[in-house]
Amino acid sequence: MESLKIYVLIANRVYNDGIRSGLGLAVENHYAYPVIMNGEFPRMSDYMAENIAWIADMEGEVFSCGVDAPTDLPEGTEMTNITLEELGEKMREADVIIPYGLPKQSHEPPAACGE
Amino acid sequence: MAADPNKLGIFVTSNQNMRHILGLTRAAKRAGKEVMVFFTFKSVHLTKSPEFLELTQMCKVEDVAICADSYICEGFDNVTDIPPGLTDKQMRTQAFHGAILEECAKYIVM
Amino acid sequence: MSDEKMKILQVYRSEPNSDVQTLVEILNRDRDADEFKLYVNNPNYDTLFQKIWAADKTVCWW
Repeated sequence: MESLKIYVLIANRVYNDGIRSGLGLAVENHYAYPVIMNGEFPRMSDYMAENIAWIADMEGEVFSCGVDAPTDLPEGTEMTNITLEELGEKMREADVIIPYGLPKQSHEPPAACGE
Repeated sequence: MAADPNKLGIFVTSNQNMRHILGLTRAAKRAGKEVMVFFTFKSVHLTKSPEFLELTQMCKVEDVAICADSYICEGFDNVTDIPPGLTDKQMRTQAFHGAILEECAKYIVM
Repeated sequence: MSDEKMKILQVYRSEPNSDVQTLVEILNRDRDADEFKLYVNNPNYDTLFQKIWAADKTVCWW
């Protein structure tokens, strides 16, 4: 099958699993572009950092839209900053767009979420 | 393998859309189409609702699968607690999502 | 199939926020665009199915 361009949009802090899901598609020979929206960044575990690096190795790319990506990412882990309008233009070329999980929450999470 | 023109793929990423999944699957079946569904991450909790069994009964056994890793991550036992309607062979990897994209003429995320 | 004639369907599981509206506006530009709201009471799934089948591409927003 032809390789598809697939954007995985992550708007909710709980659903950063969309990065893993994107990697799963990259392994299936597709171009995976997970997009972290408005600063809903994942906790940068070794596993998460490896997944992001692996997506780049598989000719995909992880984007940060709306907020600049952290500057202290682990070595080999890259996120490309992109504006909403640039994202929209890029996604016109997408074969598949996956708004992943749930929308952004209205309020900041309470401390209990950190446990 | 070319996409099946009579098959709808549903990629389930959220845990709150079971009524939409069922409603759309029923509509597809009424129209004489087959439906292929993959549940990943938090959506595997939907396997615990009674509607999940109904969904599996509308689809071919091999056309419904869940992400085994997600199921385990969410605390469920992938050996002793296989959801009703699934076989152990349908506890799959993200590759099943790739198969949906390959096999289904139409596709929607839920 | 030319890009201009692409039939794109925007499905909304909840009311779209401004980010979604901006992205949809760009995605729909110069295309044959349709939409379906799942967040209304009792959505008609037969209609949704027909729209999906008529579309070249479906985007189902959060």
